[in-house]
Amino acid sequence: MGSTLLMAKTFLKIFSKDRQSIFFTLFFPITFMAIFGFINTGSEDAIEIGVVDNAGNAFSAEFVDALGRHPLFAVTVGDEGALKEKVVEGDLALVLILPEDFRGKENPADLTMLVDAAQARQTAMLRPLIEHALLDLEREMRAIEPLFPLTVVDVEARSQRYIDFLVPGLLALTILQISVAGSGYNIVEYRRKGILKRLFVTPIRPRDFIGGLVLARLVLTVIQVTFLLAVAVVLLDVPVVGNVFELLVLIFVGSAIFLSMGFCMGSLAKTQQAIMLLGNLITLPQMFLSGVFFSIESMPEVLQPVANVLPLTFVVSSLREVIVNGLSLAEQIPTMIGLAAWLAITLTLAIRLFRWKQVAS
Amino acid sequence: MHPKTVNAVPIVRADKLVKRYPKPGGKSETFLAVDGVSLAIEAGEVFGILGPNGAGKTTTLEMLEGLTDIDSGEATIAGIDVTAAPHKVKEIIGVQLQANEYFDHLTLTDLLTLFSRLFHRDNDPVALLKRVQLEDKAAAKPAALSGGQKQRFSIASALVNDPKVLFLDEPTTGLDPQAKRNLWKLVESLNASGMTIVLTTHNMEEAEHLCDRIVIMDHGRVIAEGSPQDLIMHHAPEPPAARLHGNLEDVFLSLTGHALRE
Repeated sequence: MGSTLLMAKTFLKIFSKDRQSIFFTLFFPITFMAIFGFINTGSEDAIEIGVVDNAGNAFSAEFVDALGRHPLFAVTVGDEGALKEKVVEGDLALVLILPEDFRGKENPADLTMLVDAAQARQTAMLRPLIEHALLDLEREMRAIEPLFPLTVVDVEARSQRYIDFLVPGLLALTILQISVAGSGYNIVEYRRKGILKRLFVTPIRPRDFIGGLVLARLVLTVIQVTFLLAVAVVLLDVPVVGNVFELLVLIFVGSAIFLSMGFCMGSLAKTQQAIMLLGNLITLPQMFLSGVFFSIESMPEVLQPVANVLPLTFVVSSLREVIVNGLSLAEQIPTMIGLAAWLAITLTLAIRLFRWKQVAS
Repeated sequence: MHPKTVNAVPIVRADKLVKRYPKPGGKSETFLAVDGVSLAIEAGEVFGILGPNGAGKTTTLEMLEGLTDIDSGEATIAGIDVTAAPHKVKEIIGVQLQANEYFDHLTLTDLLTLFSRLFHRDNDPVALLKRVQLEDKAAAKPAALSGGQKQRFSIASALVNDPKVLFLDEPTTGLDPQAKRNLWKLVESLNASGMTIVLTTHNMEEAEHLCDRIVIMDHGRVIAEGSPQDLIMHHAPEPPAARLHGNLEDVFLSLTGHALRE
């Protein structure tokens, strides 16, 4: 135990002085958060629409004014030709044309909606919104109360922004990358430099070496992931709904799985090139298949069964449930079983494959 | 070499050591890297293992150190069986390796403290550095050392457990003459303090200068054994190519042939 702690302290000292790799492990997720954080705020903007007022009377002016006050829309008034062009360019989502006989409450008038037919999906989404807005305006102008007023209450009290979806995924991805690089790449480098042999001539046991490296990496991973989460919470308003202690448990378990995978790779790969290849083989598919950037349900059906059992998938989904949805670990039994299974598999393999005599020389 | 009193009990004993490795290229075929090597190294002597590249010197050393499994035969150090109790053996031997790289970001002091603690000892790193004349480099990192300094540091890190037997694997390869002489002095002073020293070398001058006894290995076997003087007497070709000095090289070449090794 003494030697394990000694190695942990030593590795912590070495890793924490390696500013370059700390910078790069944080740089990637922070860049992603920044990009998607800002894109996200844009999507909450009002929908840009154009209005052509061919009637030009007091009633039509009142209508345009009321539409402009509607929270869903940002209205540009202009002539048909200019606005049409803007639709084609994509600056406006649609143009509403008020007919000349748009005169008053007692006189129903046909409105025309100009859209870009190429954006069929967008049109289908916009139409009910416009119709609903027109209904709101009609009620307001005729001063009638809706017969069935509807108040929407969000029972989950959670946000549905993309950044909230993304942040837990990025945290999981960071854990994967730090851990695989921090065990597998390290072992190959230490072997190449003869450091493993240097240690092996002392009475150190494999468990001291592995235990020390794992402890140091766990401490560092928790610090790095906490930092990322703090950035997400403070700068991007990502809510942490769930239990922080359970979050820590997940970070530990995730790291342990990926560190073990790294140890397996480090024991198998004899050269720097081989470990790079193995590392990419393990990280890249998981990066895209484990629901980090988009949900697994939106992936092609054939890939889903594979995606659903990847270790990163379990880490991503459990982190997401805890952080965004506030679920406890006890409420995610299948995911917990998945994590436990991967931990058992990778840990057993890591211990089997790591033998001083083979690994050191 | 000046005569000295040597304890007659072998502190390192190897009995018919064998090591097989897979043949490079051939999948199931093996070759004998070490083929029945027996050694009896006595406490207090400087013992040299000579041989061309690929003769099995390093493999023999690594089997004695417990770094490589012994396929057959047995080795004991101070009576302790290397295969049965590798950790006990590691406690009493010091190993200087050919590789000279260490963890990044750690100073010489950090590294010596680490190695010392791994032996559950509390050796003063500065005192160790003094022994190898590196005390002014205490705060330096190994990457900043010269070749000779690196070798001396490597020896310092092999001394953290006050070993009874010190193994040196080609300690002067690649060093300039000054650094080489300096290292010889260090080896002599360590030996004078009672440490048994086992070294491998290509350098005949080194073997002649340092070693009380040597073995010459080739193709995994010991082909000659004795004091440098004995070997010159028995094996030097007549007439010696150079009469006054460096004759051991003639012995070496006459025994192992002139063909170039990889």
